[in-house]
Amino acid sequence: MILMQQNFNNLQFLVGTQNILEELKTVPALPIFAPRMTEFFSAFSNVILKDRRARNFAHVTAYAYWIRRASLEREKNMRNDFIDSRLGRGVAFHIAPSNVPLAFAMSLTVAAMAGNASCVRLSSREFAEVEIICDAMNELLDTGFKDLKNYFLLVRYPHDERITEFFSELCDVRIIWGGDNTINTIRQIPLLPRSVEFTFADRHSVALIQSEKYLESNAQDVAKKFYADTYDMDQNACSSPRAVIWTGNATDEAREKFWASLEKIVHADYEMQPIQAVDKFSAACMLGMKNNGVKLVSTDNFVTRVEVDALKSSCMDFKPGGGCFIEYIAKDWSEIIPLLNKQCQTVAVLGINLQDFRKWVISKGLRGVDRIVPFGETTALAFMWDGFDLINGMSRYIEV
Amino acid sequence: MLENHQEYLKTSPYSLNKEEKRRQFTKYMNELTKYHFEHCAEYSLMLKSLNFSADKSYGLEELPFLPVGLFKEFEMISVPKEKIVKTMASSGTSGQPVSKVLLDSATARAQSRCLYYIVNSFIGNKRCPMLIIDTELVKKDPRLFSARGAGIIGFSMFGRDVFFALDQDMNLRVEELKRWIDSHKGNKIVMFGYTYIVWQFFRRVLNELKIFLDIKDGELFHIGGWKKLQVKNVDAKKFRHALKEVCGNIHVRDYYGMVEQLGSVFVECEHGHKHCSIFSDIITRRAKDFSPCDFGERGIIELMSVLPSAYPGHIILTEDEGIILGEDDCPCGRKGKYFEILGRLKSAEVRGCSDTYGQ
Repeated sequence: MILMQQNFNNLQFLVGTQNILEELKTVPALPIFAPRMTEFFSAFSNVILKDRRARNFAHVTAYAYWIRRASLEREKNMRNDFIDSRLGRGVAFHIAPSNVPLAFAMSLTVAAMAGNASCVRLSSREFAEVEIICDAMNELLDTGFKDLKNYFLLVRYPHDERITEFFSELCDVRIIWGGDNTINTIRQIPLLPRSVEFTFADRHSVALIQSEKYLESNAQDVAKKFYADTYDMDQNACSSPRAVIWTGNATDEAREKFWASLEKIVHADYEMQPIQAVDKFSAACMLGMKNNGVKLVSTDNFVTRVEVDALKSSCMDFKPGGGCFIEYIAKDWSEIIPLLNKQCQTVAVLGINLQDFRKWVISKGLRGVDRIVPFGETTALAFMWDGFDLINGMSRYIEV
Repeated sequence: MLENHQEYLKTSPYSLNKEEKRRQFTKYMNELTKYHFEHCAEYSLMLKSLNFSADKSYGLEELPFLPVGLFKEFEMISVPKEKIVKTMASSGTSGQPVSKVLLDSATARAQSRCLYYIVNSFIGNKRCPMLIIDTELVKKDPRLFSARGAGIIGFSMFGRDVFFALDQDMNLRVEELKRWIDSHKGNKIVMFGYTYIVWQFFRRVLNELKIFLDIKDGELFHIGGWKKLQVKNVDAKKFRHALKEVCGNIHVRDYYGMVEQLGSVFVECEHGHKHCSIFSDIITRRAKDFSPCDFGERGIIELMSVLPSAYPGHIILTEDEGIILGEDDCPCGRKGKYFEILGRLKSAEVRGCSDTYGQ
C-alpha cells in the first residue's frame, strides 16, 4: 500500500494530535468491554457530571449516566458467553451528524467498548454539548488515562474528500450517520476489502397507543414522556414518532385527553419559531393535496395534527419537524403495516406489551421496525442501533 | 372568471375606502376560492382537508390560504392545460426548487393591465423614457420565463425609448447611458431594476467613476430581496440616499410582490409605506394559531390578489414577516392598507438527523 501524506492543513484536532493520527494504524485492538475502557468511561461520566455546563443539557447528562460503570457492567454481563472470545477490529472511523450533538459520543463509546480505537469526524457546527465532552475527554487523557490516548482522535475538517479517503483507507469499521445523501456520497469512497460499514440512514418512527390502557395511565406523565420523544429534538430525530396510531375502543376520549395534555406542556415549554408554524401547515396541506380523506384537526400551530383515513407509506414523506403528527385510528395492527416498512426504525408503544408486538412483527416478516420501546425512551442510548448489534459488528469472534 | 371583475379592475387603484373595499374584495375572494375549488383538483383536495365548505360565505380573514411553498411542489392549474401560455418561475437560489406558476392569456393580460394602472398612478399617464437597470439578455432567456425577465418585460411596456443600462456581462454602458440621459433632458425618466442589481452594478459603478447623472425628474422602481444588501449594511434609507446622490432628483420606490401574484404589486409611497391597491390585500398572522394580527403587530404575511384565475394563487401565505401600519389613513392620501416588510422568516435551527456532510 502506498503511504499517504498525512499532513492535511485543514484538519483541526479537538482530541488527539498529529502523532496519534500517525499511530492509529498500529494501536493494539482491545477485548470487548475491556476493564480499562470501563474505568475510563466511568471516570468520564464523573467528569461530565461535575461540569456545571452539562446541567443545561439533558442529553449530556443522559449520556453520562449511560456510561456509568454499573450501566456498562450490565451490558457486559449480557455478553458473558463470548466476552473472552471477541477482540476489536482495530480502527473505527465515525462520520457524525451535524444536528444530533450526542450521536458521536454514543458512536465513539460503542466502538471503544467493542475494543477499537476511534477517529471521529465532527460536524463543523459548534455545539456546547460537543465542547463539554471534548473537554472532559482531554482532561482524562492528559492525566490518569494517558495509556488510552491513542484510542481517541476527534477532528473537524471542511468537506474534503482526500481526508475522508485517507481515514476510509485506514479504518476497519466505518460508521456513517446519515442522512441518505451523506451516506451515498461517502459510499463512493471505497473501504479496504476486509473493512465493515454501518450506515444510519433516514428513518421514521411511529407511536402506537392502546386507548383503554392509556386512559388508565397518568395523562401528564405520558405527555411528558411523549414530549421528550418528540419536541425535545424538534421532532427531527429518526426516533421521534411522526405518526400516532390509536387502537382499542376508547379512542375518542383517549385522543382528546392525550392531545390536550400534550398541548399544555408544549405551550409552556416549546419555543416554536414562526417558520415552523408555516412549515408544519405546508406539510399538512401537501398531504391534503396528495390524498383523499385528510383532515387538519389541530387546535393551534403548536401541535399540528393531520388525521388520515388510510395509512400509506407516502404519509411519512413530509417531515417538517417541530410537532407535526399524522393520526390514525386502527382496527388492528395489520392496518399499520404500510408505515412499518424499511424506513421504520422505532415503534414507541403505550399499553401494548413489547414482546407481543415484537412477536407480531416477526410473524409478519416485516422489513422495518428495529426497536420497540415504551413512551419516553425513543432517544435512549444503546449498544444496539438500527437493528445492528454494534458490539458484535465492530469486533471479531476468534474461534477455537 | 376574470370576466366578472372587469368593472372592478377599472377602478382607480387607491380609491376605495375600507368598507367598500372589504365588501367588494371579500366577494371576489369567495368567488375565486370557490372557482378554484371547483376547477383545480389539488387545491380542491387541500381545501377539503381544511374543512372548507363551498356553500358557505367566508369573511376575508377566514378564507383558507395556500402556503407559498406548495408552488414548488405542485403544478396547480384551474384552466385546461392547452390554455396555458406561459410558465413563470421564481428566481430561486441555485439548486433550490423554484416556484412554478402557470398562466393563461387572460391572467397574463390582467396582470400587465393592473401593473399598468398601479404604476401609472405614480408616474402619470404619459409614456416616459424608460431606463432598465439590467441587461437586455434576461428578456431573451429562452429556457424559462424567469420572474426577473418577466418583470422587466412587464415594466418596459409602460415606457418609450427603453434603454438597458447594463451590457450582457453586467457592465454599465456608461457612455451610451450618458448620451441617452442627455437626449431626454426635460422629460420625466422612469427607471426600473432589481434592488441588488441596482446597487451593485449601477450605483456602485457610478459612485466609483464619480459620475452624476443629473436627472431632473425621475422615478426609480426597484424590487427584490434585501438580504445581500443587509450584509453590506445597506438599508432602505441608505439605499434611497445613495441613489439620489448619483442620479439627481428622483423618487426611489421599493415595491413588493410575489411571482405567484404578479401584477398586483405593493408600491412604496412618498412616506416609505407599501400600499395595497384595490387589486390586492394583506393580512398578517400570528405564528401560534394563524389568528390575524392587530395593526402594528408583527406577523406572517398573507397576500391576496384578485388576478390569479388560471391557478389558485389568489390567497397565499408567504414566508415573509411584516407589520400592517394602518388603513386609509396614510399621509400620502392613498386608500387601502399600508405596511412594512421585515424580511424572510428566520429559518429554523433545529436538531435531528439529517444531511449535513458538507457543513
